[in-house]
Amino acid sequence: MIRIGLRDARAHFGRFVMSIIAIALGVSFVVGSFCFREMMSSQVDQMLASNSDADVYVRGSEEQKNDETSLDMSSSSSSASSSSSSSSSSSSSSSSDESKSYNRIDESLADVIAKVQGVKTVSVTYSVSGIVLVGKDGNAVSTTGAPTLALGLAKGTWRAATLAEGRWAKTKNEVALHSFAAETAGLKVGDTTKLVYPDGAADVKVVGIFDTDSSQAGAIIVGLAPSVAKDYFQQETGQIGMVRNIGVYGSANDGKPLTAAQQRTLADRIGKALPAGSKARAVTGQQVRDDSAAATKKALGFIQPLILIFAIIALFVGSFIIANTFSMIVRESMRGYALLRSVGASPAQVFSTVIVQAIVLGLVGSGCGIGLGWGMVRLIVAGMDRMGMPMSGAVDPSPSDMLVGLLVGVFVTLIGAALPARRAAMAPPIQAMNETVNPEKPVWPRGVAGVMMIAGGAIAWLFCWRIALAKADNTVPISPWHWLNDWGTSLGTGWPLGVGAGLVVIGVIVLAPALVGPAGAILGWIPAHVFTVTGRLATRNLSRGKRRTANTAAALFVGVAIVSCLSVVASSAKASVTGIVDSGLTSDFSAMSAANGRIPDDAVKAIKSTQGVGSVSRSRMLLGVTYGSGSNKATAMTFAEQPSLFTNVFAPVTNSGDADKALRGGELVVGITVAKDNGWKVGDTVTVNGRQVVVDKEATAKAQADYQQQVQSKIAALQAEAQRLMAAGDAAGAQAKIDEAKQAGEDAQHVDPSTLVKTKTLDTHVKARIGAIIENSVYRSMVLMNDALAGKIANDYTMFTIMLFVNAKDGEDLAALKKRLVDAVKPYYVVNVQDREEFKSTMSSMVDQILIILYALLALSIVIAVFGIVNTLALSVSERTRELGLLRAIGTSNGQVRGMLAIEASMIAVLGTLIGVVVGTAAGVVIRQVYESNGLERLSIPWGQLGAFLLCSIAVGVVAALPPARRALKVPVLDAVATD
Amino acid sequence: MGRHSAVKTPRGATMGAGKATTAAGANGTAADGEVVARAIDLTKTYGDKDSQVVALDHVNVEFMRGQMTAIMGPSGSGKSTLMHCMAGLDKPTGGKVIVEGLDVSAMNQRQLTKLRRDQIGFIFQSFNLVPTLTAEENILLPLQIAKRPIDRAWFDKVVDVVGLRSRLTHRPSQLSGGQQQRVACARAIMARPSVIFADEPTGNLDSHSSREVLGFLKNSVREYGQTIVMVTHDPRAASYADRVLVLADGRITQDLRHPTYDEILEVFAGEGDEVEDGPQADATSREGAE
Repeated sequence: MIRIGLRDARAHFGRFVMSIIAIALGVSFVVGSFCFREMMSSQVDQMLASNSDADVYVRGSEEQKNDETSLDMSSSSSSASSSSSSSSSSSSSSSSDESKSYNRIDESLADVIAKVQGVKTVSVTYSVSGIVLVGKDGNAVSTTGAPTLALGLAKGTWRAATLAEGRWAKTKNEVALHSFAAETAGLKVGDTTKLVYPDGAADVKVVGIFDTDSSQAGAIIVGLAPSVAKDYFQQETGQIGMVRNIGVYGSANDGKPLTAAQQRTLADRIGKALPAGSKARAVTGQQVRDDSAAATKKALGFIQPLILIFAIIALFVGSFIIANTFSMIVRESMRGYALLRSVGASPAQVFSTVIVQAIVLGLVGSGCGIGLGWGMVRLIVAGMDRMGMPMSGAVDPSPSDMLVGLLVGVFVTLIGAALPARRAAMAPPIQAMNETVNPEKPVWPRGVAGVMMIAGGAIAWLFCWRIALAKADNTVPISPWHWLNDWGTSLGTGWPLGVGAGLVVIGVIVLAPALVGPAGAILGWIPAHVFTVTGRLATRNLSRGKRRTANTAAALFVGVAIVSCLSVVASSAKASVTGIVDSGLTSDFSAMSAANGRIPDDAVKAIKSTQGVGSVSRSRMLLGVTYGSGSNKATAMTFAEQPSLFTNVFAPVTNSGDADKALRGGELVVGITVAKDNGWKVGDTVTVNGRQVVVDKEATAKAQADYQQQVQSKIAALQAEAQRLMAAGDAAGAQAKIDEAKQAGEDAQHVDPSTLVKTKTLDTHVKARIGAIIENSVYRSMVLMNDALAGKIANDYTMFTIMLFVNAKDGEDLAALKKRLVDAVKPYYVVNVQDREEFKSTMSSMVDQILIILYALLALSIVIAVFGIVNTLALSVSERTRELGLLRAIGTSNGQVRGMLAIEASMIAVLGTLIGVVVGTAAGVVIRQVYESNGLERLSIPWGQLGAFLLCSIAVGVVAALPPARRALKVPVLDAVATD
Repeated sequence: MGRHSAVKTPRGATMGAGKATTAAGANGTAADGEVVARAIDLTKTYGDKDSQVVALDHVNVEFMRGQMTAIMGPSGSGKSTLMHCMAGLDKPTGGKVIVEGLDVSAMNQRQLTKLRRDQIGFIFQSFNLVPTLTAEENILLPLQIAKRPIDRAWFDKVVDVVGLRSRLTHRPSQLSGGQQQRVACARAIMARPSVIFADEPTGNLDSHSSREVLGFLKNSVREYGQTIVMVTHDPRAASYADRVLVLADGRITQDLRHPTYDEILEVFAGEGDEVEDGPQADATSREGAE
């Protein structure tokens, strides 16, 4: 029996091609998704191993809620690497899921640690954000998504980095570049270029090039002189002498990384040595790496389920195509099976001949799929490499991945083949073939079940919406029932949303067969009137196999639903953003830093002095501001604004109070989210804690005195030397020493006093009244105050400009002004001047980028759906051989046959797309509604796009009908008629 | 459109519903009546050189307008092949087929489609109707496919003749076998083709239904001058025909004009076993053997 099955498999191989493709696609998605996840996680591990390679880290002991992450994204090498990898692969989920942050610790601890036994080197790596490297071509170097990292590097501070050429940077005008950065920028050792520091561009010389053990996923790494990096880091954080962590390299393993046990011993030893009250803790490098890896992997986690959804679609269609294919094969071989039965084969044996074929098919398909999945990941990696994001993670599937793929493939094939195989097994020994398709079981039970599920989903969505509403406005109850309210509040919006979506999707799939009849009548109206006969025949054919039609359409439905849901959300997001600009933003231009950091003060000046500029309003961010007192401090992004903000730049959407008056009057204007989180109301008074960095006069005086003394003693020593040489008769030598001493004295005169200025951080506590609460979505999570108040809390060292709003003088030609503005900021490289339209489009283009990926996935699911339609039609054509023969015998032309099948296929496609668009749009509307308070203020349904989906689906149908039509027409009319 | 009803052959008129014997007419050749379709030196072989099967062996035959011709013969005699070639369903290996003066054997797909729309009607043994369409839609299908106007009066007439008025809205699955075949006949006649080819139209029917269908076909020949070529096994069915051609091994062995049932049985008696009730007829003499 098995031999018969194998032989049949070989004979039917041509038939199996489509099934194999479908299974292969499905399996490839499964394998690919696993592979991709493993590749990413091995990449993350590799990067962490080389980037946070210290054996022990000393870090703060108190966890902190920190809202600054989005601005100073990377302040130490370990968190830098994790944020770089996460933002490079998923800019959408950048910093929200990052590793926890801890309180900063005093850098002087490094001296304490250095004395601990077993410590080889102690390194404090400062990193500076917002640095831009200018390449050989004079343009800023950037790669897709990955940031530019500037680290203070010297010998021994980073074990995994090895100098390939040259040396480390020593001054502000020198840099060492990572080999990838050098390559991307087209720079080599000895070249001179520009580097844009947070406070402006400077000419720098490339003095060295270094390599790291793993690729850096496209991050541009610039090695600065440690002292320079430290300066900027302190400016950025507004804290002096504080670092995020201290890396320790142990000596126990002869310079090689320590084992986990050695790390633990060293960490314990350091932990003991740390002074009490230092709020510091020593942890092993392994633990830090594991934590970061977990955080990063969590941030990347959304990719795999997304790929898996499409794998499920592919496999669903695949099992379907297989069922169809086997139905055809079984139908055609029925006589053979009848013969087998009549010579004594048992039903089980006949069953096995079919199942053997299925297994062969499943194995071949899965095998191809594994290869395809592997190729897919390879392709992605190659693509990322081309986009400037080299990956060195392992891309080859592990045996377990392959096994999963194989099992999934074979399992799906068996499911698909089971029913037809049963039909074959049940073949009576003398088969009376009946051409007429057996009437289907009624579909109304499915209709009822489907409607109920959809209703359940809709209720879940409604519930979710009420929860969101209640969350946004405390006065609105979720429902009239108390118990439900409590439950709903604790549940949050995520679950009901997901459950609702799941129920609706499954409900629609269940309901679909019942929809085919009415949908056929409605959708068929046009074709039935345009192409009278063919249209009517096509429409009626659809209702013949309602389940089959519905399942075929379902493949398209799921893909289209996902994509249209996301396009509604995306388009609403865009509309909301442009809505802000249109309704709120009154300034003509905005300027911000492309590096997502500060705008250099010189650039601000340049813009202000540009001819034609009327007024410039700048937003300055205050660093490290907390509210309240004691241990219960709250943080919020705090900005200093011009008093004219609400009249000249943004119209406020006031919740309570008078925003304009409050700002002008030195009161706080609080975003509604912040107000709600802290329970603040207009009229409350809160303590604002800030920092000011001031010159520490005592320390400065001391430093100067010390310096003076040092110079003096040096001169004295030189003079003493000179006298000694003079005494020894070496006049020339003595003269040289005297000159040297003079020189030293002169040098001391010329020394830049600022290098001797010592600063200290002052904590400030200012009481302020909350004057207004506003709802503008951009300000929701911010606290605004005017410059005067901000000046009491922070000073220039702890505030920096992140955005400028420029108003032109009356009657100024905006286009010309824009050109002048762009020219004015050109030397600063990072500053981007945008007019209102551009401001809108930068926001939208981010959304568009995400959409592109979605469309790629849509394209894939369409390809799979086309396979499904082709296959279903092929089966239908094979079942209707005689009918088609008859139609042709009575004068149906080839064109009419083709047209009929095309209409049939198009209607299946349109049905799937239409339901998909409806469900997807509904889901999108619900999501928008639920996240209204998170910025999705406007609903925008991209009708054009959704319409395009529908038009596309017609084309898809027409294309899908081609192969079955060719097959139907290949059969001579006579054969078709004579088939029995 | 009215050309067929105009050509009312006298022969058709003289024939009774039963089996009027006109043995003399058998020799009357094709002098009277117009030739609708003709095969010239028609040859059809299947298979390759080594195992060649000759289905038609240089057949020459003419079919007259307004006649019902039955083609009989044992299995494998080539009767179906002859009909298929005549109808343009099959391409002959050699020779020509002319229908209404058009060379069918030289036609391409497009021309063949046009031929089927305008000149030819079909009735098959089974599976004659499109299952998704009602009886009425099935009857009108050829006209609609050809985008020809529907002659309602003619439709009513045909429907009344086949007696299907009450079943028009039924689907084929709701009709009996005889009713289905009557719908098929109505469909074939509806377009008033030059010639209707019927392939064992009563093959699957009980004797009562058979009589109904054959009566209807006969009637259409008599009343409207329809031309019908029918392949059949059944001598009783053949006895409705004006002319019976008997094929054996790809050649026409007999050409009977208005044979009686008994005459037909006689022809097959000598040849043995093909006809179910053959043995009863062995007494009568053979006639018309060439």
